[in-house]
Formats: sequence, C-alpha cells, structure tokens
Amino acid sequence: MHQRKGGFWPYLLLAPALLVVLAVVLIPAINAVFMSFQSYDLRRPSQIGFIGFDNYVAVMKDTLFWQSLLRTVYWVVFGVGFQFVFGFCLALILNKSFRGRGVVRSISLIPWVTPGVLIGLMWRWIYDGSFGVLNDILMKLNLIEDPIAFLARQDTVFPAVVVTIIWQGIPFFALMLLAGLQGVPGELYEAADIDGANVFQKFFRITVPSLQNTIYVTTLLRIIWVANSVDVIFNMTGGGPAYASQTLSVYVFNKANSLNLGYASTMSLLLTAVLLLVAVPYLRNLFKNQEA
Amino acid sequence: MKRILVFAVISVLCLLMVTGCKKKDDESSTIGNVTDKPINITHWFWADNPDYSAKMQQIATDFNNSNNMNIKVSAQEYPWEGGGYSETLFTAAMGGGGPDTAAWKLTSTPLFKANNLLAVLDSYIDKWDDKDDIESNLYEVMKTAGGSDSIYVMPWNTQILYVYYRPSMFKDANVAVPTTYEEFLEACRKLTRDTTGDGKTDVYGFGMRGSTGGQEPWGSFIYGRGGDLSDFTTTQAVAGMQDFINLFKKGYVPPTAPTDGFNEIIANFKSGRTAMTIHHIGSSSGMVESLGDDVDAFPFPAGEKQWTSMGDTENVIFEKCDNKDAAFQWVAYLATGKGQEEWCKTTGNVPVSKRVQALPEFQENKFMKVSIKGAPYAGIFPILDTTTEWISTIWPNTTAAALAGNKTAAQAMQELQKGLYGS
Repeated sequence: MHQRKGGFWPYLLLAPALLVVLAVVLIPAINAVFMSFQSYDLRRPSQIGFIGFDNYVAVMKDTLFWQSLLRTVYWVVFGVGFQFVFGFCLALILNKSFRGRGVVRSISLIPWVTPGVLIGLMWRWIYDGSFGVLNDILMKLNLIEDPIAFLARQDTVFPAVVVTIIWQGIPFFALMLLAGLQGVPGELYEAADIDGANVFQKFFRITVPSLQNTIYVTTLLRIIWVANSVDVIFNMTGGGPAYASQTLSVYVFNKANSLNLGYASTMSLLLTAVLLLVAVPYLRNLFKNQEA
Repeated sequence: MKRILVFAVISVLCLLMVTGCKKKDDESSTIGNVTDKPINITHWFWADNPDYSAKMQQIATDFNNSNNMNIKVSAQEYPWEGGGYSETLFTAAMGGGGPDTAAWKLTSTPLFKANNLLAVLDSYIDKWDDKDDIESNLYEVMKTAGGSDSIYVMPWNTQILYVYYRPSMFKDANVAVPTTYEEFLEACRKLTRDTTGDGKTDVYGFGMRGSTGGQEPWGSFIYGRGGDLSDFTTTQAVAGMQDFINLFKKGYVPPTAPTDGFNEIIANFKSGRTAMTIHHIGSSSGMVESLGDDVDAFPFPAGEKQWTSMGDTENVIFEKCDNKDAAFQWVAYLATGKGQEEWCKTTGNVPVSKRVQALPEFQENKFMKVSIKGAPYAGIFPILDTTTEWISTIWPNTTAAALAGNKTAAQAMQELQKGLYGS
C-alpha cells in the first residue's frame, strides 16, 4: 500500500514537544556538563570560572563519594531486588480469582501512589526510637527489651531506609507484572497440565519466559529511579547519621543544596555514567532477545 | 482543511508558550503617589506552628487595612525545614522569582549579598522616624553580618537560647537549678532515672539535639570548658566536645539524640522523656499549653566561659522589588509598629523595639526574663560562606560519628574546624 509522505508536517507537529524537551532536559543537561568543568559555587560567585578536570580529580579523591557510590550499589541491589521478588509474589496472588480481589488490588497500590516525601516522614515516625510504632510492636511481641533508635544508629539506619524503599516499590512491580500475567494465554498452562508439568515447571517454563520483556523493562526503570531517588532518604535521615545512609544521589542533592553546583554536577555526571554502564548492556540484551 | 486546523492549533499553542513566559511589566507603580491601583508586596515567612502562621496573616491583613498608601501585602508561608527555607528563597531569587520581602536569618546574608540580591536599607533607615526605637548596636550586628558598612537587614526580633526544665522532676530527683556548668552536667546525671523500677531508664536528664540546628546548644558546652568558636581545636574546645559526647555515652540523653531535631527534642520534653532541653522563647507558649506550671527556664550556666546562641529573625527587601518604599513601610511596621507588638506577643520572641519591650506583657513573662538575662553573653556563629553547609551537613554528621565513637572528640573538632575555616 502506498504510504503518503507527510513532508514537513510530522516535524512541525513534533516541534512543540521537541522544544519542551530541549528546554527542560537537553539544555540543563548540557549546562551540567559545562558546570562540571567549572568552579561553580554560588557561595563564592567571584571564583566562578573554568577549572578543567579539577572537580573530577577532587571527586576521585573524595572518600565520601566512593562510600556513597558503594552504598548506592547496595541500595539498588537490595532495594530493587526485593521489590521485584515481593512484587512478583503479589502479582501472582492478585492474578488468582478470590473474593475481594478488587479491594486488595486497590489497597496494594497505596505505597506507590503515596508521595515519597510523605513516605519518608511516615516511616521516620514509624522507626522513631522514642514514640515509634515499630518499637512498640516489637516490644509487645517480646522480640526486643528496649526501643531501638533505628535511624540514629549507624548499623540500623541503612537497612531501615532500604526496607522503606522496598515497601514503596512493590506495587509498581506487582502492577506491571500483573498486566503481563494477564496477557499469558491460558492454553499454555492447559497444555502444560496435560503434559503433567508441576507448578514450578509451569512457572519457570511458561510464566517467566512470557514476562521476560516486562521484567527487563520494569527492572531497568526501577534501577534508574531507585538509584536517583532522593526524597525517601532525605526526609528520613538527610543521609545521616555520620553519612551512614547517604547514597550518591543524596550526596549530589546535599552538595547542590549547599550551592556547590560544579561539584554536584560532576558527581551527577559520574552517576549517569554508572547507570549507563548498567542500562546499555541491559537494553542491548533485551533487543537481541526480541530479534531472536 | 485539516492542515489549516492543525496549523491553527500549533500557532495558538506556540503563542501561549511565548506569552506565558512574558513577564508582567505593567504592574509597577510608585509609592508617594497614592493611586487607585494597589501596590502589591509579596512577603515570605516561616512559622513554627499554626498559631504563628495565622498571626502573620492577621498582621498582613491589619497592615493592608491600616496603611494609607494602598499597599497590599500577600504573606506566603514556607517551611523552615532546619534552614531549608533559606535555600528555597535563594533558589527562587536566583531564578528571578521569589518575594519582594522575606523573613530572614543573618547567616544567609553573605550569600545573598554576594549575588547582589538584597536592597541596601541605609537611606530608608536614616529617614525613618522610628530609627532610634531600635538599639543602635543591633544595626551594627546587621552590618557585621553583611560584612560591609551598609545595612541589608532590618531587625525584627531575637530568640536567646536557654534551658527549659521540669520543676517537678528536679524536685523528685532532689536537684537544684544549676548555677554553674559543672552543676549542669551533674544535673543531667541525677535527672536520668528509672522511675518505674523496671531497670530501664525512662527519664533522661537532657534532651540533646544532634540533628541540624544542634550546633547552637552545643556551642554552650564548648564555652563551658573555656573554648570558643574561633578555634575548635583548642584543648578547652575539645574538652567541651568530650562533655557533649559523654552525655550520650553515659546514657544521660535519649539514644535517638544523634538524629533528634526540633520536633523530637520538644516532643521528648513535653512527654516527660527528658527533664531539660535547650530552646528559645518561641516554644514557650506550646510548653505552657502542654505542661502548665510544670515548666520553667534558666540561662545556660557559666563554666570557664559563658555563651548561648542568639537566634535572630529579621526581614529583608530584595533588590528586584519594584516598590522598595512600600516594602520598607511593611518591614518597618514589623520592626516597630503594631506588627512587632502582635508578633512578639504571640510568639514570645524578644522584641527589638524599645517601646514594645517596655510593655507589661513582656516585663512580666518569666521566659522573657530568662531571655533578657542571657542577652549579655549571647552570640551568633561565625557567618562565613562555609557556614550554611557546615550547619546543615558537616556538624550533624561529624558529631553523630563522634557520639557513636567512630571519631574521638579531637578528631571531630579538627574536622569541624576544617569544615568551617578550611584549615
């Protein structure tokens, strides 16, 4: 069939969207690259100027940067990993027919639709060492004798914020995987039943391969979002105590907040590079599988 | 037809985008010439509780109704967030937005001044009838904060930190109100008690603030051992830090102290979890509301030296304000007019206006008396371009590491010295 060429019309129609993307994404991103090569500290406006790779050298020597980067890896691996596992379990449950399923589906979305700032404040009080409900429950169950200052101790603060981000992200995986599950043809399971396949065989031979693309895309999205997430940690701990819950994105935020935009830009570009190292092979693998 | 329609839609969208970005430039008018057109002034402020918030709105309404120049102030509240207010204000101002006038903290002055965001107030103050209603030394403090001979900041009110205590707990523990630094440390120990007999501490002697803002009460400990804020690495300053650490290590403060901020120390004190805590008069009305007569205050006692932090609140006019004369009328109303009286009565802050200070309500208030007692040795932290980051990030994290035993007092003080002074 002959396909009519649109001439300049498609470009014209795309122009407003492109202009917006250019204005709010591309220009600030390019600006961040330029800033990373400058001493750009608004507290010292007279010193703003080009300094070559000095910011990069300083970041490489900054032990706090490396600690925050390592913590970001843990943050993403444990945060996204458990979100995926629990989200998958929830999706499988919600895919079954049972009474009140609609209500359960709606309730399970609450963590996802709650703003991150509110989640941070809410969990901050849940974990509170003096008045927190978690301590109250643990003490009533005789699991602990004294309240634990979860967010004030360096050994408990990071696991505490990881649990919070897991809680927040489970519904996202559940929702996306549930949509995927509903697209898996029932005939496949019927055929497997006839062939005598057990539950695990059906899960690993039918369910998981059918959801492969959904799993790839949702996991990649969550890796990027969680790595860049600031709101939950910032509102719970600000990255403390003693930087024990500071991920790289929180460090960038704190530096930018203290107006050292050159240094913050350098770290954010390095975080982008790290995320690209994960995203590019991931996407390449996805497309390769699709082509196959 | 379709093409024409699409083209028309795109044209309208583009036009809307362009006109939406255009600054309204037809709103300005000048004071002096009273016109029918109102002169709009946008004012930013923060409030510690809903009562203060409502009071500021009422003050703005009263001013709008009483001034004869048709000035209309729109008071907009932004959260303090441990200093995040100043950052929000800076971001807005640097982006070309933000208010015409704003409530202020002196520590922000160098940053805003360096970026030419603040209006110079000398010429307005010189012509002002109420100039002498404010102590001249306060103008000097405002000049020092800006690092120049010009005044960028209009005094509004001060808050002197002092120690709140629960008289009933002092009586139960047989402790007298401390008059020396050593007695204060001893009181922290004695007031830490197991009142239910289950072998667990349920009242802590002191409500320590380890989160942002905690540097202010911490400063009193440094002076208590003879140190000061010009050099944190002296033996005396390190000894003060060691006292601070010991209070945590020995369990005289709640275990949550490293992350306790304003909300936590106030909640702990009101709930009876702590017997003493340090804050200013701004929280006194809430304390009295919760505890009635079972709350009193004393100045932080003298050790080798005596110091307490003077919280300050001022107002500024931004350089971009089109009607600085009108803006000055507003900040003057807050400094010495009815606005000063109303705000200080509600918040309990120490007024800067001598006329308001002399009113009976202020002369008979016990918390006001303690504030005034503390005034002679009250001070502020050095205002440097590193101060904001030092307060928001470096002090809380370094102190938390010292409290947890990951750094010695000397190591922590060296780090604090480097963070503030660079060496």
